[in-house]
Amino acid sequence: MDSTASPPKIGIFFSRADAGRLDGLDLAQVMDFARDLPGVAAVEDLGSEAFPDPETLAETIKRLGVTEVVIAGDSPGGHKPVFTRAMVMAGGDPELVRLASFGEVGAAAGTAENSALAAVACAVHGVPYGLAVTSPRVPVHPDTLVIGAGVAGIETSLRIAGAGHKVHLVERAATIGGHMAMFDKTFPTLDCAACILTPKMVAAGQHDNIDILNCSEVQDVSGVPGEYKVRVLRRAKRVDPDACVACHACRDVCPVRVPSEFDEGIVERKAIYMAFPQAIPNSYVVDGDNCLWVQSEGKKCGACVKKCPKDAIHLDEEPHSVELTVGNIVVATGFDTFDAELIERYGYGRLPNVLTALEFERLTNASGPTGGRIVTRTVRRKRKTKQEEWVFDTDAPAPRSVAIIHCVGSRDQNHNPYCSRVCCMYSLKFAHLVKEKLPDATCYQFYIDMRAFGKGYEEFFERIKDEGVFVVRGRTAKIEAGPDGMLIRGEDVVHDRIREFSVDMVLLAVGLEPAKGTQRLAKVLDIRPGIDGWFTELNYNSDPTATNRGGIHVAGVCQGPKDIPDTVAQASAVAARVLGGVISGSIRGDRDTVSPDEIAANVARRAKIITQEEPWPSEPTHT
Amino acid sequence: MAIRANPHLIDELEKYGAQDVVKCYHCGNCSATCPFSGEVFVFPRKSMRYLQLGLSSRLQGNLEPWLCYYCGECSEECPRGAEPGETMMSMRRWLTARYDFTGISGLFYRSAKAELLAIALVAILTGLGLTLFGLAQGNINVYDGPGAFLPAENIHIFDWIMAGVLVVLLGINCVRMWWYTVGSDKEVRIPPGDYLKQFFLVPWHFFTQRRYSQCDRKQPWAVHLVLMLSYLTMLILIMFFLHRVQHGPDIDWKVHAFGYVAAVGLVGTTIFALAGRVRKTWTHYKHSHETDWIFLVLLLVVSLTGIAQHVLHRGGWEVAANIVYIAHMMGVVPMLVLEVPFSKWSHMAYRPLAMYFSTLREKVLLAEEKTEPRPQSAAQTA
Repeated sequence: MDSTASPPKIGIFFSRADAGRLDGLDLAQVMDFARDLPGVAAVEDLGSEAFPDPETLAETIKRLGVTEVVIAGDSPGGHKPVFTRAMVMAGGDPELVRLASFGEVGAAAGTAENSALAAVACAVHGVPYGLAVTSPRVPVHPDTLVIGAGVAGIETSLRIAGAGHKVHLVERAATIGGHMAMFDKTFPTLDCAACILTPKMVAAGQHDNIDILNCSEVQDVSGVPGEYKVRVLRRAKRVDPDACVACHACRDVCPVRVPSEFDEGIVERKAIYMAFPQAIPNSYVVDGDNCLWVQSEGKKCGACVKKCPKDAIHLDEEPHSVELTVGNIVVATGFDTFDAELIERYGYGRLPNVLTALEFERLTNASGPTGGRIVTRTVRRKRKTKQEEWVFDTDAPAPRSVAIIHCVGSRDQNHNPYCSRVCCMYSLKFAHLVKEKLPDATCYQFYIDMRAFGKGYEEFFERIKDEGVFVVRGRTAKIEAGPDGMLIRGEDVVHDRIREFSVDMVLLAVGLEPAKGTQRLAKVLDIRPGIDGWFTELNYNSDPTATNRGGIHVAGVCQGPKDIPDTVAQASAVAARVLGGVISGSIRGDRDTVSPDEIAANVARRAKIITQEEPWPSEPTHT
Repeated sequence: MAIRANPHLIDELEKYGAQDVVKCYHCGNCSATCPFSGEVFVFPRKSMRYLQLGLSSRLQGNLEPWLCYYCGECSEECPRGAEPGETMMSMRRWLTARYDFTGISGLFYRSAKAELLAIALVAILTGLGLTLFGLAQGNINVYDGPGAFLPAENIHIFDWIMAGVLVVLLGINCVRMWWYTVGSDKEVRIPPGDYLKQFFLVPWHFFTQRRYSQCDRKQPWAVHLVLMLSYLTMLILIMFFLHRVQHGPDIDWKVHAFGYVAAVGLVGTTIFALAGRVRKTWTHYKHSHETDWIFLVLLLVVSLTGIAQHVLHRGGWEVAANIVYIAHMMGVVPMLVLEVPFSKWSHMAYRPLAMYFSTLREKVLLAEEKTEPRPQSAAQTA
């Protein structure tokens, strides 16, 4: 910046084009703040116009006598070309158009006014946000809490524990492993999912630095960044994991049958159960909600207690809480799948052979209920009640034709507007598995757009087509019971035709949704779920694992839909971030606690440093 | 042959009511949802595509908008909120304007002001003309019989002249419709014999609206049928039995029974549709173009003034009956003169014709396919 030139006159243009995302943000306050910044000559409201007219803008720029432009808004990048043109038309320098992106700095939610103010101040001074907006460093406790023990949580825990630091790994279910433990194969390599995950699970289970708290939920978090006090509710497991040798004697005598969560309800488990043979901790647990002894308060049953050779079962165990002190918290709560019953015309829940993706994962899994045989559901009479029930029988006929429907609940404004990112690829994987196990079966894929975006994914798509899978571009509208199996109707958009196929099995590629309890956890941790419910990262591009709170990180799908490679990568990145803090002894505090005046002063000081009016500050000293 | 794209087509259609076409991402959900979408005519998605690409010529020769009865299921299940049902409705308006050789239709659809102005003008001219005519040859104190203010015989002649003009105007537009959709297509040649054999479809669809009844939802069809049959009954009564309707003092039940039933049907369905549009009860009531309001309000005014003059006449208030009669005519004449050839009423001709033309085309195309199958494969198999 040439100091002899006349001082710049900055015009700030606020866009409300993505107003939905800015709900709760007091834009008037941000505009007032912007008006008082040095060098700001004018503050204009562009309204919700998505495509402003460059000629009108050029006139405005001329009328205001503005020499530099800042476009502020949720994602103002879209306006930049228009403003660049307008600047040229107004005779100004097109290089002097800068962006203040609220979305990028995670200022979308109501609690984030300061981030928005900071984004504007940074753009006015031309200072990179990440450089200017910092919170003070605070000392950090070396222990870490990881919430959620899917592949993300396990990976983070192993990395941190491997570096010699203590990790508390909290898991709501009885076993760690999450959704990946349910999968048969991974795409696009068609590796066995369990072969990748179970060694990691065992390593986590045996690691001295990892304290697994299964059947547990985070109840309350207090304290400050670097020194969080966490209260974890440990639900009653009613089996002593140290004594249990997983001999299955208890399971054999338990009279209660309920749908197995791990097998997505396509088969039953007992009230005393182990999700699957490789479960970690490798111990039985009692489902207190369904146990006869627990429900009758000790009046009925109790067969398992008598049968247990190790006296490991204590049905009267009570839930209790534990208090933990941690410096960092990693949120890796993952996802739930979209409830396919919400789309009635697909007939899920009504037609027995319409399955969701996870149900099919279990069906085709070699360790699943049918030993990996793909069969149709058939009617069986219950022995006791004589009621009809639909079950997967290993000897049942295999489907002659299978249709896979993409985008179930995703990219749909009536349900989830976003793309769930993994469904296209797992659908292709399903098609491959069907073709591999049932070479004579016909397989149809109904898709809207094929999102094969990753390394090797497009090649995988080509491979599936070569395998003889019918790939139809078009969404299916209806699945109805037909004379021979089911009738599926959809438009073939490429050939401009309505297609009706008779199929025996339909797989719904259900999308991903934030896991149940995400909103509650966000409140407990005081971090921000975004508009779709996924946790908001601090900076979409440059800080995708940090949150607005110091020492609280997000890893895996809970930050947004992603596949296994991306999840593992992000989990490792989080571990590096946590270890960086733990090893140096200090971390950044909360981002939202800095006052607007401090932000303005801080940004102005940074601007001076950048223009070399002030020297670089020395690195902060660590405690 | 190269096709010219009209980049402003989508903006043009916006004036006809299509607001959300750009949102469509062509998943085909709408076409698969529609029970009418079949072997030859696959809609509404393809028409949405024509709009996005600006293919005016394709759209102009497209019969598909007329094959849609706007049950609204496609709009409800559209994952993008692109309103395919409303887009089809807008395309029907646009096509009406295209078929109309005078250009008046397009003017009315694009500007409600112009339509209201035209209605006002025709209404005033009618009112003035009838008043002067009445004063010149009759007595305002007499409603019927000798010395009547507006004698049924004279009005009858006036009606028939007006009907003749309207039939000619609408007829020309119908011929243009035939040319755009069937006649100009060199690739699909329809044997002349088919034209004769299938012609029964026009009256069949006109009177029964059979196709509408095949929508998954039956209520809208029922409402529409009652409205249409009531209107038709009234029209027949007026065109052929005006003197029996108008003459008192006895009530000629053979004729009047029909009249009363039709009046109830007209008022009931019009109010139902108006209330539906105000409260946005059904999907096809959610978006209302100005012309929809004008149409319904005119119809309601005409029905109510018609009933009022009848009541006043039978009640012996001859002067009031005559005045209301003029008011009634001030509604009827603009409604018929402007709406039948140029606006919403014209669909009474276009719809049955579209059923007729589409059946003709379908027969030819399906026959061609048997001898020379189109690329059949749904898949890109190796």
